[in-house]
Amino acid sequence: MSRRPSSTPLFSFSRIWIITGNTFTHLMRMKIFYFLLVFVLIWLGVNVFKLPHTAGPEGVGGEELRLLKAPLMGTMKLFAIIIGIVATALLIPRDMEDRTLYTILAKPVPRLDYLLGKLCGVLLLVLAGLAVMTLLLDAVLWYRMQNILAEFDQVAAILVEQGQFTAAERDEARGELLSQGVTWDLQAAVLVIFFEAAIIAALALLVSTFSSSTLFTVVISTLCYFIGNFIADGLDHWRGTTGMEEGGIGELSTNAIFVAFPDYRPFKIVDEVVAGQVFPPDVLGGLALSTSLYVGLYVVLSWFIFNSKEI
Amino acid sequence: MSETPAVQVKNLVKDFRGSSTKEPASGDLLRESPAPDAPDDIPPPAGGIVRAVDNVSFEIASGEIYGLIGPNGSGKSTTMKALLGLVSPTSGTCSIFGRDSSKVDSRQDVGFLPENPYFYKHLSGEETIRFYGRLCGMKGAALRKRILELLELVGLQDAGKRRLGGYSKGMLQRIGLAQALVQDPRLLILDEPTAGVDPIGSRQIRDLILKLKKRGFTVFLCSHLLEQVQEVCDRVGIIHRGALVKEGRLEDLIAIEDQTEIILRNATPGLLDRIHDLAHREEDVELVRSGHPRTTLERLFLRETIQRDSVDPRGEQEPASKEPSS
Repeated sequence: MSRRPSSTPLFSFSRIWIITGNTFTHLMRMKIFYFLLVFVLIWLGVNVFKLPHTAGPEGVGGEELRLLKAPLMGTMKLFAIIIGIVATALLIPRDMEDRTLYTILAKPVPRLDYLLGKLCGVLLLVLAGLAVMTLLLDAVLWYRMQNILAEFDQVAAILVEQGQFTAAERDEARGELLSQGVTWDLQAAVLVIFFEAAIIAALALLVSTFSSSTLFTVVISTLCYFIGNFIADGLDHWRGTTGMEEGGIGELSTNAIFVAFPDYRPFKIVDEVVAGQVFPPDVLGGLALSTSLYVGLYVVLSWFIFNSKEI
Repeated sequence: MSETPAVQVKNLVKDFRGSSTKEPASGDLLRESPAPDAPDDIPPPAGGIVRAVDNVSFEIASGEIYGLIGPNGSGKSTTMKALLGLVSPTSGTCSIFGRDSSKVDSRQDVGFLPENPYFYKHLSGEETIRFYGRLCGMKGAALRKRILELLELVGLQDAGKRRLGGYSKGMLQRIGLAQALVQDPRLLILDEPTAGVDPIGSRQIRDLILKLKKRGFTVFLCSHLLEQVQEVCDRVGIIHRGALVKEGRLEDLIAIEDQTEIILRNATPGLLDRIHDLAHREEDVELVRSGHPRTTLERLFLRETIQRDSVDPRGEQEPASKEPSS
């Protein structure tokens, strides 16, 4: 009979990748990507039923693109959040129910590898879904932009000829119009949606390590998300009205609250980018760092709880 | 045979918190008082705490088939889970080939088949074995070869590419056995391996266990199907309400010391009369029973449903019961 090496490393990228791949395939075969069909239907709806807008003739093209982007980006965010919570909440309880968890942990697999593999599987699924939707979004935007630009160039040429529009004004308006199309800022905004989903998925993973049902995990994680979206303004107001000291107990306690309920306000930059604002690169770096810290913290807490869990 | 026992369980105690926590998945019956023979140094469970395993100690030698039997909820599965590091002992220790079973390393040499496993239905038989093999660090040609070997061993060569969602209960148990064996472990832990499986599937699994024994595997088997345990195990332990109440070699435990069994084929009535007379003539000898031995219903079922001319895989003729009828 064969003899195995004397020790199992606590952390193995290859093992995590195996569990990640399995989780991804598992979720894919659960036909979770039917959500993409909903996305396509919304896109068709937006195209067939033109939404009303109030912009003047010079801003029609840009407004049309904004009205196209907003629901599609909203759907992408919804997809990322729902999959992040539901898929993560499904994984551990289902593995326990089916006793698949026993057979995995009865192999030389540290519990940290299992947790990381499951989380990465969900994140890979969210990333793949967002990538497909981004491709669709970019294709739609590019196609619309070509039509709008052609119309704009025609109208602008007449206006410049008639002297109602200078060449500089035309170029500025054209630049404004292009900023509503396929830009790197828009791609960065999609990445921010992914960051937000990663935090929520890690939080759902933490909840699922001590919860006994998928429903409980989904409800608690969703509540935490909504609280995180609203609590920040309330805490800021409290900070302002009570005039709390820097480093005092009041500030420490509000910081502790932000650990459980992450402040999602910085992630709202996505809405601003959809409106055509430029995405500052340092903001993206800051959001990536904050996402890593939150995900890291939740994974470590999940590991502590799951490691001592009686299965 | 190695000097280090394959399994060593020493004074294992496992308490669970009362109704506020979930019961162990096995549905083990929890008790609120210590075993009558528990030593004094193990304190009884405090209020609200229930004891699932109470000071259990046993060893399994390398190459042995050990059966832990007991009614539902007696503590079998909890003992098994403690051995696999899935639950932490309240006190006592478990080790596998000398390695502390709470450590991940100890699982390098263990294959485990839980009761009623479901596995991932989206995977085929081959993919399932590959997944578990890769978790154990196997890859490439060695893993591909191992998958084919195991599919052949468990008789699922033709079903290897089918999704597990379409497998019968018996096939799931056999693929479960294949995944347990993937890294060629020295110890195999089986929890109710034939639960819910029909007699033919049950026989196939039993034959597999015997085949593995011939190959030198150590098998730790938990079951409440006593006939099955009797057929395959070298030693057994009887667990009741969390305590190990009896343990030893199967032959020693079930032998009735003051009785002797003689089974004759084609005996004439005259010969039987003479044997009766002989027995009556001897002082203190009593003929307890005589008559036609009976086969079991299971054997009858197997004989009538599978090929009638098949020979038992262990090379025996169609067996007769050891239990003579009265």
